[in-house]
Amino acid sequence: MSEHWSERAAQEDDGAESMVRPYTITRGRTAPERDDLTLITVLTTAQDAAETGRRLQPEHRLILQRCRRPAAVAELAADLDLPVSVTKILLGDLIAQGLLLARAPLSVARASGGGPDLALLAAVRDGLRRL
Amino acid sequence: MTNDQTAPAAVKILIAGGFGVGKTTLVASVSEVAPLRTEEYLTRASVGVDFLDGVDAKDTTTVALDFGRITISPELVVYLFGTPGQERFWFMWNDLVNGVLGGVVIADTRRLDTSFASIDFFESRGVPFVVAINCFDGMNTRSAAEIRAALDLDQQVPLLIGDVRTRGFGRDVLLALVDHLMTPALA
Repeated sequence: MSEHWSERAAQEDDGAESMVRPYTITRGRTAPERDDLTLITVLTTAQDAAETGRRLQPEHRLILQRCRRPAAVAELAADLDLPVSVTKILLGDLIAQGLLLARAPLSVARASGGGPDLALLAAVRDGLRRL
Repeated sequence: MTNDQTAPAAVKILIAGGFGVGKTTLVASVSEVAPLRTEEYLTRASVGVDFLDGVDAKDTTTVALDFGRITISPELVVYLFGTPGQERFWFMWNDLVNGVLGGVVIADTRRLDTSFASIDFFESRGVPFVVAINCFDGMNTRSAAEIRAALDLDQQVPLLIGDVRTRGFGRDVLLALVDHLMTPALA
């Protein structure tokens, strides 16, 4: 078994090729470096993102364009036609550079042991009734 | 990670059930966009050895997830994820239950057994759910009581019967789930 991509990336310390290339990652190794991105984490391009990112790959640029309007990880993966785990790796790159802002899913109270969030549920119910 | 409060918050509802039972159809009936498809890798490590029966010697294969969205307000979006019910995909559900409000199990009365795994999953993870019996063209020949018995369904779990192709039924199923989530007994 070959070394994990993240270990390889860590060894490349000259800075010139710090971007991890998705198509080398996809060969059987799929774990993103960060584990806090979920399918419905919402990403938004940072206000000042246009001025930076000289070494970005085309996929990164696409993501930054797409996320001028907030979009979830799953939507971005579908748009890019990339597997979710590969998409998460690209998103992680952009978040680490401060080009992309992330919003975690609402923690639904029941899962953390409390009662249901009635205000949230009422909002969902009202929205569904408009369908 | 920064938590960007200016973006809409997202929650999700899982639509589970056996193959071909109508998960994506239900998503399509209520989603504001045509269902999107995304793929995730299944690796040997994550699915175990059993899964490889009949699969050729590839290191990875993928599983597709179809999903849709309902924008509730500028601050809140509900994502609907069609979810393969089989136990071999449960590893993936650990991500899927993140931010989940609840679940819908779609069942077909001719193949109720294909819904057992989905019901087991929701019960084992404490995810509240409702059951939607999909009868295309009114093909249901069994009563709600019979179906409940066959699925060994708790009395408090709502059971709805209808055609998932229609937006009205899809909406009613989701509303039944939200009402179920709001019942004090579950709190």
